[in-house]
Amino acid sequence: MNVSRFDLWLGLPLAAIALLLPFSGPSDFVLNLATLVMIWAIFAIGFDFVFGLLGMVSFGHASFLGLGGYALALATQLWVLPFSAGLGLAIVVGALCAWLFSFFALRVSGIFFALVTLALSQLLYILADSKLRAWTGGADGLPGVERPGLGGIDFFDSTHFYWYVVAVFALVMAAVAVLRRSPFGRVIAGIRQNETRAEQLGFDVHRYKQITFIVSGGISGLAGALLASLLMYVNPQMLHWTTSGDVIIMTLLGGAGTLWGPVVGVLAFEVLKEWLSGWTQYWYGVLGLVFILATLFFPKGIVGELQERFGQWQDKAARRDGRSS
Amino acid sequence: MSTLIIGLSLGMLLFLLASGLTLIFGMLGVINFAHGALYMLGAYIAFDIGRHTGSFVAGLIGATVLVAVAGALIERLALRPLYNRPHFYQLILTFGVILVISELVKIVWGLGYQESTMPEALAGTVELFGSTIPVYRLFVIGFGALVSGGLFLLIEKSTFGMLVRAASSDGEMVRLLGLPVSSVRMAVFALGSGLAGLAGAIAAPLFPIELGMATNTIIDCFIVVILGGLGNIRGAVAASLLIGLVRAIGYSYMPSWVDILTFALLIATLLTRPQGLFFRATRSA
Repeated sequence: MNVSRFDLWLGLPLAAIALLLPFSGPSDFVLNLATLVMIWAIFAIGFDFVFGLLGMVSFGHASFLGLGGYALALATQLWVLPFSAGLGLAIVVGALCAWLFSFFALRVSGIFFALVTLALSQLLYILADSKLRAWTGGADGLPGVERPGLGGIDFFDSTHFYWYVVAVFALVMAAVAVLRRSPFGRVIAGIRQNETRAEQLGFDVHRYKQITFIVSGGISGLAGALLASLLMYVNPQMLHWTTSGDVIIMTLLGGAGTLWGPVVGVLAFEVLKEWLSGWTQYWYGVLGLVFILATLFFPKGIVGELQERFGQWQDKAARRDGRSS
Repeated sequence: MSTLIIGLSLGMLLFLLASGLTLIFGMLGVINFAHGALYMLGAYIAFDIGRHTGSFVAGLIGATVLVAVAGALIERLALRPLYNRPHFYQLILTFGVILVISELVKIVWGLGYQESTMPEALAGTVELFGSTIPVYRLFVIGFGALVSGGLFLLIEKSTFGMLVRAASSDGEMVRLLGLPVSSVRMAVFALGSGLAGLAGAIAAPLFPIELGMATNTIIDCFIVVILGGLGNIRGAVAASLLIGLVRAIGYSYMPSWVDILTFALLIATLLTRPQGLFFRATRSA
């Protein structure tokens, strides 16, 4: 079955929607929601590097997101650096934090990996909330986070900022698509399937895992900076472990380990949230219930299920044409 | 001296809280993320029963039984279909359960804090070794010791315990012998959940009851579980007491560093003994 053709089939309409949206005369609310979806999608893509490709459940990704947000806020406010430098710093800080985590977390595997990443990120949350108040503003957070400054364009305008995020999102998506098909991506997939075999073939499994984790942290840091920029605000809640839980839910809803899964998952989550919160204040619980049912009955997620159907359909078509697939 | 008593009572409360989690993991291999949410549910139920009947004991029993029933339902409906899938599915699914339980609590009891009253008989203080100790703290220590002893007897000495241990080490064989493995699993999950509810009921008079309990206490549980070694009940007792004492000492000397100290202990453990401080290669309760 031809997975890349499937990704194209799914990606084209999504890309078309993203490119045509600003021309449909949307309200600022819709534009900001679409921007938020793309930013969270970058975060989910980063998370899925470890979760979908490596098969390890991290409950610490909120740390990389939150630190990215703080890095941008502090860089632009305290050290008066330009936005792009702040964005770069956010990526570096997210990657560094992941590198630090990996020393503790990669010593253990499976469920323990989840627990260790959870504990580490919660420690950071507590620090940001109390000890580092001078830097983080404690529970009040840091208001007035900058928007990009490029050639005099006003990025406080929702449409302009939307285009900025579309560009970054496209870059991340392209980079990830390339990485997944690269030799590196193949080795990661191999490690997921059979760690012992990869080790026997002479690959330094621990090093590959560490690099994957670092890349994932960098992408998450980037998402955090963009999120802080969109909200023009960053606070410790971004670092809280329930934020990690949200990204896990989104990724699983959409389909872990698929190219578009994290993106579709975020889209489904946010659209459901908007729709549910319209008719009940208890939307979060309903979302939890939807998630439980989805996990029980569609463990592959939306994109995973679609991909399977697409594969069957291709096989059928091939048989009908008398070709063997 | 009073630091020691406070440390012991904190530790015993932690043990009550984490024992169900570690029991469920040890016997079923399931990490229940919603354990903190069940603890919260227990606290709310105990508070409500206490409010209406005026009886602390009724609250304890009601919270334990009702939360055990909730646990049995969760196992039956949500977890049983997942036993053949990778372990992380259970972890993630129970995260979804937290959202549902928190929402139910919001619907029934609202968003505000609730205050539970201290039972009359345990409200006073006593003079011990020259310091004033609240009776309730002594009660928590005694009660925790009682529960941990009871758990050991149940798992190591009773027929039910034997069946549970057998089902956890070779479920297929036990099933072939014609014993109801599914029911045993459900019973273990109910028991572990009941312990969470009981811990919530015991903690209710000590702390304000609020929605944050679900997500905050689970972190404490995990710290106990990682230090003690997953599924190791003896380890859980030792780790709980250790953390309780560290916190009590911390509260009296440097209160703002307590949480950070606990995490430092955790990280030191992870670096030196990732399998837990009290891990032995042999099977134990």
